[in-house]
Amino acid sequence: MHATETWIFRILVLGFAAAFAAQVWTRARLILRAPNNVRVGDDETGRRLLRFVSEVIFQSRTIAERPLVGIAHLGVYWGFTAFALYTGVEFLAGLGIADFTGARWFRLYALALVPFSVAVSAGIIGLLVRRAIVRPAALGEHVSGESVLIGFFILTLMVTFLIAFRWEAGLAARINWWIHALVILGFLVLIPDSKHFHLVLSPLTVYLRSPVLGTVPNLDFEREQVGLETVADVERKQVLDAFTCVECGRCQVNCPAHATGKPLNPKTLILQNEAALLAGRFETTLAEVFDAKVLWQCTTCGACEAQCPVGVEHLPLIIGARRGLASNGEAPGALAAVYNHLERRGNIWGLGADLRQKFVQSAGVEIFDPSRHEYLVWLGCAGSFEADFQKSLRSLFDILRAGGVTFGVLAKERCTGDLAKRTGNEYQFQELARANIEDFTAAGVAKIVTSCPHCLRTIGTDYREFGFTAEIVHSASLVAELTRSMAVPGREDVTFHDPCYLGRYAGITGEPRDLLARFGAAVREPDRHGANPFCCGAGGGLLFEEHEEGRRISQERLDQLQRTGAATVVTACPFCSIMLKGAQASANTQVEFVDLMSFVDGRMKAAAPAAVPRP
Amino acid sequence: MILVIAEQQSGTLNRSSWETIAAAQQAGGPVKVAVLGAATGAAAGELAAAAVTEVLRVEAPALSPYTLDGFVSALGQVVAAEQPESVWLPHTYQTRDFAPALAVHLGRALVTDCIGTKSDGARRLFVRPVFQGRLLADVAVDGPALATFQIGAIRADSLVRGAAPAPVRTVAVSVDAGAIRQAPEAPFREAKQAVDLTQAERIVAVGRGIKEAEKVVLAQQLAAAIGADIGASRPICDAGWLPMDRQIGSSGQTVAPKLYLALGISGAIQHLVGMKGARTIVAINKDPEAPIFEVADYGVVGDLFEIVPAVIKELKG
Repeated sequence: MHATETWIFRILVLGFAAAFAAQVWTRARLILRAPNNVRVGDDETGRRLLRFVSEVIFQSRTIAERPLVGIAHLGVYWGFTAFALYTGVEFLAGLGIADFTGARWFRLYALALVPFSVAVSAGIIGLLVRRAIVRPAALGEHVSGESVLIGFFILTLMVTFLIAFRWEAGLAARINWWIHALVILGFLVLIPDSKHFHLVLSPLTVYLRSPVLGTVPNLDFEREQVGLETVADVERKQVLDAFTCVECGRCQVNCPAHATGKPLNPKTLILQNEAALLAGRFETTLAEVFDAKVLWQCTTCGACEAQCPVGVEHLPLIIGARRGLASNGEAPGALAAVYNHLERRGNIWGLGADLRQKFVQSAGVEIFDPSRHEYLVWLGCAGSFEADFQKSLRSLFDILRAGGVTFGVLAKERCTGDLAKRTGNEYQFQELARANIEDFTAAGVAKIVTSCPHCLRTIGTDYREFGFTAEIVHSASLVAELTRSMAVPGREDVTFHDPCYLGRYAGITGEPRDLLARFGAAVREPDRHGANPFCCGAGGGLLFEEHEEGRRISQERLDQLQRTGAATVVTACPFCSIMLKGAQASANTQVEFVDLMSFVDGRMKAAAPAAVPRP
Repeated sequence: MILVIAEQQSGTLNRSSWETIAAAQQAGGPVKVAVLGAATGAAAGELAAAAVTEVLRVEAPALSPYTLDGFVSALGQVVAAEQPESVWLPHTYQTRDFAPALAVHLGRALVTDCIGTKSDGARRLFVRPVFQGRLLADVAVDGPALATFQIGAIRADSLVRGAAPAPVRTVAVSVDAGAIRQAPEAPFREAKQAVDLTQAERIVAVGRGIKEAEKVVLAQQLAAAIGADIGASRPICDAGWLPMDRQIGSSGQTVAPKLYLALGISGAIQHLVGMKGARTIVAINKDPEAPIFEVADYGVVGDLFEIVPAVIKELKG
């Protein structure tokens, strides 16, 4: 290499590196100034490392949602990693620091890179075609010129790399070398200000992501925390999320609000957060950054967060912003009424405890006594007051009795605080949680079973933060275990609607299907099922939404369920059931809804003599 | 003598004023009614229809618009001049604003949100709900008191009307506009719903059991026959058979009529919570298992297309 060439290269590298550093510094400053909510000192290190291997190194999430695109991306990612040393050695040589390019090991290494370069080229061509020609909606309305440019950059890098084998010396080889080097430098300065910053940040955000979906840590009122009010309050992980977002739109395509024509788009939220941070609009309220209306359209189904390949957590941002609004008395009017009900009557509907009492008595259930009962059956608001769900609880009681399981209920219950938590009324949530935990402790409860996935989540996960340790299971899990040696014949076509808080949050997808299969059903799966179901529209307080913009989420889900052709929809959550039945009444269709427990109980009773243990 | 403070806005009386006057009449003894404002002629003329000793027009330019300081100053003068044994007010938002200040100004006790009064022989007892309505407390007060009466607790139609209009007297009060600390802005009116079912006394509500749009007219006929408003559950409004502002339930209006007639409504909880406050619930549904029967006072299991025409015929015949 000519001395002049070396000097030109040194100056260029310095210039481009400075431009890169300046842009990174802008973001680093914003990350550092944000209130710290990063919790790495927890006992989750093992799980975090496992996830890092699976999701970063093997790109499991990227592939899971979009297999072809994911594998193309995997090729590009591994190629980049494999090329890191090659680029380093070439740059060291170019800068005149050390030259290993003639070394035997380097030659062998370069040869080994050839298959990687082919993988990267194939991957990037596939991705370019998708982005520029196929143009899926998830990537936005406009083709990102920058992404296309970077695609061509990567392709150029691979081509120039391969050409270098043919032209080892001479002018052509030098030109080829310079093109390769300049493209790398060009790429470098484009990284921080584009979605390609995920190259730098996503390993970190994936590692830092909370091990449990939808974790929104309690506010500390002693420290006068009130939630996120302005851009300045946005916490460190959320700032990292804003800069790492790769704009793939997986959150967008999985969001039930977006799918039914509402303005809420989880991807847009993250990008709006990024724009507000970069513009330094620290004093701007989040209600202005995001539009308050949009914040109240989230059902907290978790589809966005569960799908994100770069570890972005949408729920802490949305619920955090809701907390900011709720703290200032700006929750929607319909929720204010519900908060009032929770405050006065301890349930979301504001109904009297006498109704629950009536149900408990008529179902012949005893008040929990730890010396005589193994399980506490937690009724929840729906179990206390909603007639249809009470039928399913009667079924659960019968199944438990038949299985010889002893159980009782609390003399009085109050709402777990699920709605208060998800809608940002944190103070009310903590009040309810503390009071319930006190009741559980006083009653000597060690094992709880509930048929409500929202109660399951709140007691089983959110209460852990208060140090609550009793075991809680969903009735589907307990009954599947209890009846594992039983089976009744039959192959009735049904479809199963996975509740978000059961399938996605709790990961309970196998037990309901196992029960259905053993009790005479053939499950026809709807488009979205298992761990990635489509929401019914009730979560996050939206059960009480007064006017739903766009199409009703419940209506959309009912259509999906009906397309399976099954005449019976089995549900396992009282709120899904309320929403879907509501949609059915409006659509005036004839689908039968049955709760999983009633389905199992009905088949057990019908086949009582024939219900033989499996061989 | 009991002095009732009636409430008016732009010459229109607040309905609950009649309820408080009726309560005062039932308590026995002479009743005077005062109405405050800058121009109270129309309201006073209307109030004179009640069988009361006298209607007082308490007028001063500074009394319109309403301010706490203005009302406390004016009523302080009226009470000093009239020396009523008791001052009663409807428990309105306005009363809630100034009554505590007036009580402090007069050095009198204030009993709020009463639902009636009774006597233990020697003293008058004010009855008011406590513990969120679970218990009723009888409150005795030493000396002259102020009392506010819960809206709807006393029936306005129990008011005794006078054979001739009661005398109306204008009471001059001096209210120093400069001493009023509040500077009210123009009253804010929330976009009023075209249909306000929350005040309806009787409601006929239809649900999915009505089957088709054309049949809604049946419910409308029944509503007309008993002088009721018409309401609906969500599916009916979703289908556009009745306008959205007729919807009752957690995503519609919350109603508390004296009579609620549910036709073909299954009683999904989201509907129940919107009408559980009704005093008497009558349900007609062909499904005996329908949850509506859990809350109904009278339930008819049967075909509404047979029952409703028969009821209409009976009412008209």
